[in-house]
Amino acid sequence: MTTYSTAPILVIGNGPAAHQVLDRLRHFGCEDPVTVLGAEDTPAYHRALLTSALDGSLPTEAMELPPPPGDTTIRTGVCAVRIDRVRRRVHTADGDVFPYARLILATGATPILPALPGLRTPDGSPAAGVAVLRTLADCTRLTAPAAREARTPVTILGAGSLGVEAAFALALKNRPVTLVHPRPWPMDHLLDAAAGALVRDRLTAAGVELVAGSPATAYTPASAGAPGTLHLADGTTLPADTLLLCTGVLPETGLARAAGLAVRTGVLVDDGMRTDDPLIHAVGDCAEHRGNRGGSLASGWAQAEALARYLAHGARGVAPARRVLRPRIAGPGLVVLGMPGAAPCDETITLNDPANGRYARLELTGEHITAGVLLGFDRAIATTTELYVHDAPVPRDRLSFLMGRPPRLPGAGSEEITPETVVCLCNNVTHQDLTRAWHAGAQGLAELASATRATTGCGGCARQVESLCASLASTTAATTGS
Amino acid sequence: MTTRTLVVIGHGMTGHRLVEELRSRDPDGTWRVVVLGEERHPAYDRVRLSSALDDKTPAELSLVKPALLEDALVELHTSTRAVGIDRAQRTVALEDGGSIPYDALVLATGSVPFVPPVPGRELPGVCVYRTLDDLDAIRGAAGRTTTGVVIGGGLLGLEAANGLRLLGLSPHVVEMAPRLMPVQVDEGGGRVLDRLVTGLGVTTHLGVATSRIEAGEDGRVARLVFADGTAIETGLVVFSAGVRPQDSLAGPAELPRGERGGFLVDDHCRTEDPHVWAIGECAAVEGRCYGLVAPGYRMAEAVVSQLLGQGPSRFPGADMSTKLKLMGVDVASFGDAHAQTPGALEFVRESAGGEVYAKLVLDSQGDSLLGGILAGDAAAYPRLRSLLGRELPDSAEALLASV
Repeated sequence: MTTYSTAPILVIGNGPAAHQVLDRLRHFGCEDPVTVLGAEDTPAYHRALLTSALDGSLPTEAMELPPPPGDTTIRTGVCAVRIDRVRRRVHTADGDVFPYARLILATGATPILPALPGLRTPDGSPAAGVAVLRTLADCTRLTAPAAREARTPVTILGAGSLGVEAAFALALKNRPVTLVHPRPWPMDHLLDAAAGALVRDRLTAAGVELVAGSPATAYTPASAGAPGTLHLADGTTLPADTLLLCTGVLPETGLARAAGLAVRTGVLVDDGMRTDDPLIHAVGDCAEHRGNRGGSLASGWAQAEALARYLAHGARGVAPARRVLRPRIAGPGLVVLGMPGAAPCDETITLNDPANGRYARLELTGEHITAGVLLGFDRAIATTTELYVHDAPVPRDRLSFLMGRPPRLPGAGSEEITPETVVCLCNNVTHQDLTRAWHAGAQGLAELASATRATTGCGGCARQVESLCASLASTTAATTGS
Repeated sequence: MTTRTLVVIGHGMTGHRLVEELRSRDPDGTWRVVVLGEERHPAYDRVRLSSALDDKTPAELSLVKPALLEDALVELHTSTRAVGIDRAQRTVALEDGGSIPYDALVLATGSVPFVPPVPGRELPGVCVYRTLDDLDAIRGAAGRTTTGVVIGGGLLGLEAANGLRLLGLSPHVVEMAPRLMPVQVDEGGGRVLDRLVTGLGVTTHLGVATSRIEAGEDGRVARLVFADGTAIETGLVVFSAGVRPQDSLAGPAELPRGERGGFLVDDHCRTEDPHVWAIGECAAVEGRCYGLVAPGYRMAEAVVSQLLGQGPSRFPGADMSTKLKLMGVDVASFGDAHAQTPGALEFVRESAGGEVYAKLVLDSQGDSLLGGILAGDAAAYPRLRSLLGRELPDSAEALLASV
């Protein structure tokens, strides 16, 4: 057992949130030495890019995050197993001891194994054939050369953004993919039916077999020549020698809970990202701040920023995350801004272009975007995301904005009123008919109604007829000088 | 100059328009008109029928001006049913045995309510909603119940529900489609419409089928049972599940019918008999029936032009653009409202906390207006309607905001 000298700041976890805290800490001028304990053997990497490693579009080195600035010691492959809050020490699996003055929990989250019969072995570990996608190691297993060459089929359970991305990535590598989702369309927590249908079409076009609308009820792992099978509530059975679970993640709170810290779904933190032990902080996917259990890169970033400010200056407050999700799917882009449908808004704008598989929906309050989904309007994706992130007002002409064109100015089209323009649609009364009747003496709404029948149908043109009366009266007055 | 005789069978809105149009365009009196109305009342404004349950009397709804009744060239028979047409002799046979000769005959018999074969539909307390007499039956049944059910959530069904509301009943509307007014509006428009009418005290049951109507101990309607077994206790059921062209004279007169019923006529509203025309809801113009009053008026005008040998004599066709106010709720549907044009774009704005819905259907470039749906606020309708097929003269927002 080695007991290390006390570092002012000890971080458990070496993921993107931890990395961001260190980066912002130095940015705000805090030069205290920091020690980071990372359970994975690899240096910190950008987890959001995992599916790019899955489809081979990025080499794993390209996903690595740059080494943190300043006096920082990173210890990879070190697994913290216990926090001793009384002595302010962290014990590791290797029996080493790391004292702390301040402890930051950035333990992230772990994939959820749903309570599905057959998914676990009796000892609780995942059954043979069951895979998850959270780490580079998971990624390496899924893309092992043998599986790649044999084009081993993969059945993915859960069509959230990770499941959808993984399906596209594996399909791109020519792996037969079946994507199973309990709800009627993919990413239903973020996409409405129209956008969901377009993503479904893209999946189908990419060769992914989407089985949506029925929840899984059980899994039978492959054994002695019998293939692995996934069973659905509607009676469907799907071959699933490899079952990739993309069924969400849970904050990793084991250490915090064992240490007696307050935990709900995540480790509870205040506006200084402090747990109920003032010397211990939590940040990123493991933290729960005011009921929000992160889970997104943007909220992790906002928390890292808040924590760094607090540690450097004692400032408190977490900026609301302007969350932008850009799932990597085949074909023109998809972006999800905020949480569509989650909060009331003043106004929604939808532009639907089914012929070209394009769709956009913005939720607005005042002139500001509060949430949105855009699929395929590439120029609008760029501009809308920009406006959303900076909370800037959208232009008045939303149609042109979404179409990616300059605004339409009044008078752009032709709208001159011709004598033949029909004013009263019910009775087929033209502008000319009314003008003639007016000159023949019917110089009021009631008179024009009885002379021409205008306004006597649905009455919708009454306002137009009135304004015509007024304009004829003023023109006549002007010409006669009366 | 000899005065010829025109017989018009049907004195509804369209038949009446024909008479008025003819009399105003025929100052020399070349035609004398005999109008045969089956109802007790002369022509009235059927579009505003529900207001007769509010504060309007039948007389106030009447479309007939006193001058017409004094017109020597107009002979109006109410409560008179035509039962046959002898095309060789050119006479119309009446139910009372009488016979009326014609030189020209215009069929303007309108529609009859369609009552689907739901068990119990013959019970006392089951009504339809079409005529002033139907309203009397509804009023009679309304006195015995606090809840009324309208079967059919289309335009007329909602009108009927409003009628029940005016009678002080709690109205329910049952619609098989998943939204109200499925012909005129889309899902989003239907959602707004549903929210607004629900706010006015109408209970809607969408996407449900009626299984049967059951009688109580008194033998009258007591409840309506849905296909899923749930039920509404009610003493009044009003069918408003669409209409069928009233073409029962086609058989005896040996006139051809359209595929979906109606007297088959060409684009001049002519039947195969050069002395017989059909106009309004009973006419299948080149096979197609029009269930709105405006196209009926266009047909009436076209036939008058032919009778007088002056003016445009062809029915120019009509799109099914509609604007109406139901219980104070604006709804409009115009042009290619359901975006059937290949490549069409749909631009939708929902505002005012989900109480206003506006959809513009545009060409594939987003430049010209092909159609639209408005619900909750239809002030922009007249301008948008006049822009159909043309390039937008301003931003969509500005056009939707315009009145």
